[in-house]
Amino acid sequence: MEKKRTSENMWIKYLSDIEIEQIHQRSLDLLQTTGIEVDHQQGLEALERFGAKVDHQTKRVKIPPELVAQCLKNIPASFTLAARNAEKDCPLVRGGRPYSRNGGGADFTLDLETGEFRQLMIADMKSYYKLMDALEGINFIAPVFGQDLPVIGRDIMMLRIAFANSSKHIHLRSFSGETLKHMFEMAAIVAGGKEELKKRPIVSLLEAPISPLKFLDVTVDALFLCGEYGIPLDICVMPISGGTGPMTMAGNLLLLNTEFLGGVVISQIANPGAPLQYAPRPMTMDMRTGFSLAGAIENGMMAAAGAQMAHYYNVPVSLHGPWTDSMTHDGQSTFERTYMTMLAGFAGANVLVGAGMIQQSLVISHEQLVIDSEINNTVVKALEGIKIDQSRLASEVIARIGPGGNFLEDPHTIEFLRTERYTPSLLYRDSRENWSASGSKKFVDRAKDIAMTIIREHEPEPMPDNIEKKLNDYVSVSLKSLEK
Amino acid sequence: MSEMLEQMKKDLYSGKVDEVKAATEKALAEGMIPGEILNNGLIAGMDIVGVDFRDGTLFIPEVLLAAKAMHAGLDILRPLLSESDAPSLGKVVIGTVAGDLHDIGKNLVGMMLEGAGFEIIDLGTGVSPEKFVETVRSEGADILGMSALLTTTMPAMKTTIDLLVEAKLFDKVKVMVGGAPVTENFAKQIEADAYAPDAASAVDKARELVS
Repeated sequence: MEKKRTSENMWIKYLSDIEIEQIHQRSLDLLQTTGIEVDHQQGLEALERFGAKVDHQTKRVKIPPELVAQCLKNIPASFTLAARNAEKDCPLVRGGRPYSRNGGGADFTLDLETGEFRQLMIADMKSYYKLMDALEGINFIAPVFGQDLPVIGRDIMMLRIAFANSSKHIHLRSFSGETLKHMFEMAAIVAGGKEELKKRPIVSLLEAPISPLKFLDVTVDALFLCGEYGIPLDICVMPISGGTGPMTMAGNLLLLNTEFLGGVVISQIANPGAPLQYAPRPMTMDMRTGFSLAGAIENGMMAAAGAQMAHYYNVPVSLHGPWTDSMTHDGQSTFERTYMTMLAGFAGANVLVGAGMIQQSLVISHEQLVIDSEINNTVVKALEGIKIDQSRLASEVIARIGPGGNFLEDPHTIEFLRTERYTPSLLYRDSRENWSASGSKKFVDRAKDIAMTIIREHEPEPMPDNIEKKLNDYVSVSLKSLEK
Repeated sequence: MSEMLEQMKKDLYSGKVDEVKAATEKALAEGMIPGEILNNGLIAGMDIVGVDFRDGTLFIPEVLLAAKAMHAGLDILRPLLSESDAPSLGKVVIGTVAGDLHDIGKNLVGMMLEGAGFEIIDLGTGVSPEKFVETVRSEGADILGMSALLTTTMPAMKTTIDLLVEAKLFDKVKVMVGGAPVTENFAKQIEADAYAPDAASAVDKARELVS
C-alpha cells in the first residue's frame, strides 16, 4: 500500500536518532541536577506540588524526568491558529505547509516614500498591518509598535489597531500580565465570547525565558493566563551562542532544548493539554562586536536541528525564516533571508517568522514584506514536492509527440498549464527592452510599487458594528484602569 | 629584564593569568620597580590587545581573558604603587533600567570597562531611577551607564537623568546610555553625555568622558 507523502520526506536532518536521544537525555539530566530559575511564587508552589524540588530562597527548581515525561504527553500534536476570517486559518499540522508571519516588536521603519530611517509611527503600523492582510505569502501578523502611542497600554492599542486592519490571526506581545489579560478579553469580544475564543483562538502569544535557564515572573504569568483562555503559546528559546549560550552549536542546542522542556513543564502544570509550539530561535553572538546576529547560517542550522527535537516531541514548531542583519532591504537581506527561509521550510517548520523585518527585528520595511511574501510563496511551492502519477508522468504524451515535436498545443499542456507552476509577481522575467521601457525598475523598486498600490487600494474586512463598539468600549475602560 | 617584560606582554596577550601573575612576582623579587612593570609590561601588553581587537584580529572573550591576566598582575602591584601611579580610570555604576530584564549587553559592557581599568558597580536588571541616583551619590561614581532593550523602558533613562538634576548630581557624573533601540538622537534628546552603539566604543567613550 502506498503511504501518503508529505513534506516530511524532504526534511533536512542534521541529527541522527541517537543524537536526538542524547540531547533529550542530557536535557533531562540538566533539569534534574542544575534545574531552572523561576521568579514566580505561584509557579514555584505549583511546581513543588507536582514533584519538583524547589529552593524558595534561590528560586531554583529541579525537575524530575518523570514530570517532564508526563507533561510532554499532554501537549497536543497539532492545533489551529484561527483567524477572524476562518478562510485565513492556519492549521499547524506535522508535514503540512508552513505559515508565515512578520517578526514582532520593531520600533523603527524605513520610510516607504523616502527610504529614511526613522521611528515607527501609528500610521506605519496601520499601513503595515493592511499590507500583511492583503499579501498572500503572509499568513498572520505580529505586533509592531507605533512610538507615538502612549507607553501605558501600548500593547492594548497595538491589538486594537491590528484588529481594525486585518482579519488574519494575530500573534501578541504583552508588557505585563495585566495588559495581557485585557488583550485576551479583547480577543474574546471579537471571537464572540470566552468559550468561542477557546475553540477558535484568534490570537496567540510568545513568551521567552531569559537564557540561560531563567523564567521571569511575566513569562510565568503568561503561561498561566494562556491556559485560562486557551491561547496557543510559542515557547521561544533563544540562547545567544557564545554569550547567553555555549559557543558550540551542539551546546546551544542542548541549552535551548532544556529551556523548552522547562517551559513545557510550567505550561502543562498551569493547564494540562495547553496548545504550544516549540520555537527554537538560536542566535549567534558576533565575537568581535558582541552583537546578536540574526542572519548567521549557524542560526539556521541550529534551528533546523531544533525542529528535529520538536518533531521528536511531536509538537508544532516555529522557526525564524526571513531574518537578516542588514540595515536595509538590499542584496544581503535577500541573501540571508532566502537561505534561512529555505532551511527552515525544509526543516519542517509549521511557522516561518520574520517577514518584513530588517536589522534583526528592530526595523520594519514595507518593501521587505512584499519580497518576503514572494520568498515564502516560493518555499511553500518547493515544499509541495514533485507529484509522480500516471497523468503527470505523461509517458503517453511523450510517445504521442515523439522525437522533434513540441508540447505547446498538446491537451496535456493545457490541462496542467495553470496548476503546475508558481507564478511569482515580483521577479522580472521579460526582455531587456521591456524592462527599459517600464523604467528599468529593480527588485526593491517593484516591491515598493506593489506595497504602495496595496496600501492605497486594499480594504481590510471590517468587524461587525456591534463588536466594534463593544471592543472600543472595552479598550477605553481598560486604558483608564491602567492609568490608576 | 626587558626580556622578562616581553614575555609578560606575550602571556598577557594570550590570556595566561597564572603566568602573568608569576612573572609580576618574579620581576618584583628581582628588584624591578612596580611602575616599570606596570607601564612596560601590563599596560603595554593591554595596548597591543586593544589595537588587535580594533583590527578584528582578537575576539571579545580573548580581550576579556587578557584583561583578567592584566588584573592578576595589577592586583600584586597595586599596594606598592603610589596613589598617582595606580591606574583607576574611575567608578562606573551600570544597570538595566526599570521594567527591563535583558542583561547580556550590559554585562558585556561592564566586563569590557572593567578590563580597561574602570571600577564597576553593577546594579543588575530592572534598576529604578531612585536606585541609580542613590548609588551614584553613595559611591561617588564618575560615570553612570544605563542600558535598555525595549522602547517602552527607555523613558526610565530620562526619568533617571531628571532625578540626577534634582539631586544636583548631574554635573558630577557623566551619563552613558546604550541598548538595541537606543540611538544617538535619543541620547541627545535626554541630554545624556554619551551614547555607544557597541561594547568596544563604550570603552572608548567612557575613557573620553573621564579624561
